[in-house]
Amino acid sequence: MTAKISLRNVTKQFTVRAGKGSRPSQPAATGQRGPKEPTTLTALDSLSLDVRDGEFLTLVGPSGSGKTTLLDLLAGLSTPTSGEVLVDGQPVTGPGKDRAVVFQQYALFPWRTASANVSIGLEGRGPDGRKLNRRERAAKASEYLELVGLAGFEDRFPHELSGGMKQRVAIARSLAYEPDVLLMDEPFAALDAQTREQLQDELLRIWRATGKTIVFITHGIDEAVYLGQRVAVLSARPGRLKAIVDVDIPDRDGEDDIRSHPAFVEQRHKVWTLLHDEVRLAQDAGHRKILPDGTAPDEVPGTTLERSAA
Amino acid sequence: MTTTLAQQPAASAAPKQGAAVGDSGPVETGRRSTTAALALARTAAARAGSGLWKAAGILAFLALWELGPSYLASASTRVFLPPLHVVLAAWGKLFESGTIQAHLAASLTRSVSGFGAALVAGITLGLLIAWYGKLNSVLNPLLELFRNTAALALLPVFTLLLGIGEESKISIVAYAAFFPVLLNTIAGVKTVDPLLIRAAKSLGLSSLALFRKVILPSAVPTIFTGIRMAGTASILVLIAAEMVGAKAGLGYLIVNAQSSFLIPDMYAGILTVSLLGLAVNFLLVGLERHFSRWRTAVGSGS
Ligand SMILES: Nc1ncnc2c1ncn2[C@@H]1O[C@H](COP(=O)(O)OP(=O)(O)OP(=O)(O)O)[C@@H](O)[C@H]1O
Ligand SMILES: [Mg+2]
Repeated sequence: MTAKISLRNVTKQFTVRAGKGSRPSQPAATGQRGPKEPTTLTALDSLSLDVRDGEFLTLVGPSGSGKTTLLDLLAGLSTPTSGEVLVDGQPVTGPGKDRAVVFQQYALFPWRTASANVSIGLEGRGPDGRKLNRRERAAKASEYLELVGLAGFEDRFPHELSGGMKQRVAIARSLAYEPDVLLMDEPFAALDAQTREQLQDELLRIWRATGKTIVFITHGIDEAVYLGQRVAVLSARPGRLKAIVDVDIPDRDGEDDIRSHPAFVEQRHKVWTLLHDEVRLAQDAGHRKILPDGTAPDEVPGTTLERSAA
Repeated sequence: MTTTLAQQPAASAAPKQGAAVGDSGPVETGRRSTTAALALARTAAARAGSGLWKAAGILAFLALWELGPSYLASASTRVFLPPLHVVLAAWGKLFESGTIQAHLAASLTRSVSGFGAALVAGITLGLLIAWYGKLNSVLNPLLELFRNTAALALLPVFTLLLGIGEESKISIVAYAAFFPVLLNTIAGVKTVDPLLIRAAKSLGLSSLALFRKVILPSAVPTIFTGIRMAGTASILVLIAAEMVGAKAGLGYLIVNAQSSFLIPDMYAGILTVSLLGLAVNFLLVGLERHFSRWRTAVGSGS
């Protein structure tokens, strides 16, 4: 068992300007300070976590628990205040071609066609020091667009694509330069339920086909259990690793709806219980992404609101 | 929309609206070009329809110009406001003698040189200022001051320093066009979506590539807005400068005609100025649209 990614006692703090509404309950404020003095906010506190090579790890935690912060560290978009982030045993010093990020808001370049978006990561020198020419890049882009089910959409601009299609393009873009690790930050959160389920299945298919290591952030417990081999649960801020749940569901590839399989229900409940207290804590601190009953308002569009209205 | 698309296999989810792509290979290109031609014809027809409406306003105005002075105005006013056909006749005469062309050429040379210089300087400096935050904080108050000083207020200064020749006129045009370009370039670079920058960094782009492939293209539409504003400003300032002291140019033509009491000639000059303004704006809007095609929101026109 080799660790593809290791986090060793990673702490990340931010310096924030204390606003007018800074409450005394905030643990970050230390000592007696003027209202305009900057304070430090601990987003991640001494977190250690290993991700195996080729593993699909999902990460859940209340809003504000530092999931995005953690992903930024893995991507090399920021550096830890203390501790180490290792990929393949090497400390992460910045973004690299061995890792790719998929963002919730797609982050496609609107002035580039789908094909040009996918090939942007191929425009520099490859690992062998060779530059691909335009034709080779286009061919590769088509190949990856086909992989995500968008063959024939090469010349579309992002504004001509639906949300689900945009996210497919974003996934193709991150896969195109062949990274080992895929870092995904709530990639399906903005999509409707059907599109989300469809993309979940396609992601699993791609993962099986390519053997990438995937770290997938979500606030949907169902999604976490459905996708992940393991589910890492973060505590409310400051983010610590609360628990790791091994997801063990037999006949995952069966024809039946595994979401109603007893094993799935059990694992889901386990994660839900772990999250329950944390969500309440986070909610008291003003975050409202996951409700105490474990559902997220935007996970099943409309239903939560309708239920409470009825 | 998303839902229905999602239920079908993605490849066949192409909208019916023609230009979409199917699974056939080379055949597609031919079909696409015919549908494109059809769509073009359709938009042309639609445009002609809406063009009629737009023309209605102008036609009404021209009719008022033609008939108003003859039937509504007093005789003394009519002298200062000749009906349209008199003005057009004067314009025709000026055109035949080549006077209009000469003045137009003089004005165009000045505005193109000044405008061009402003573009190069404004965009270059704007990119530099936006890229180096320090430079921005130093220069910003100064820029605010200059920007809020009306270019025409400085006309005497330019004339004193550079004389009444071409230099002073080109310089004041450049000055007037410079600020819209500069400020919009800065704004364009500053308002790049930070998420796109994060995405580009995560894709391993170097800072130079980031600038060239992300910051610049996303700033282009804003820069073009500045260029369009600069185009309007430069014509305005140029005409004013030519009115004050020049021996050629449309501004000179207008003022000279007025002082020689050639009132129809004066209106012919004014008409030429507005046509020039329209043409410049039309050109710049076209360019702007060309460079911001990707920005077109779904459902707006097309
Ligand atoms: N650049 C920053 N400067 C200051 N504080 C920050 C910064 N980025 C994040 N934080 C703070 O760190 C904490 C963790 O933020 P993060 O975005 O990682 O949460 P998250 O778990 O991704 O939440 P969500 O589920 O809502 O996306 C939050 O309290 C946030 O306010
Ligand atoms: Mg987040």
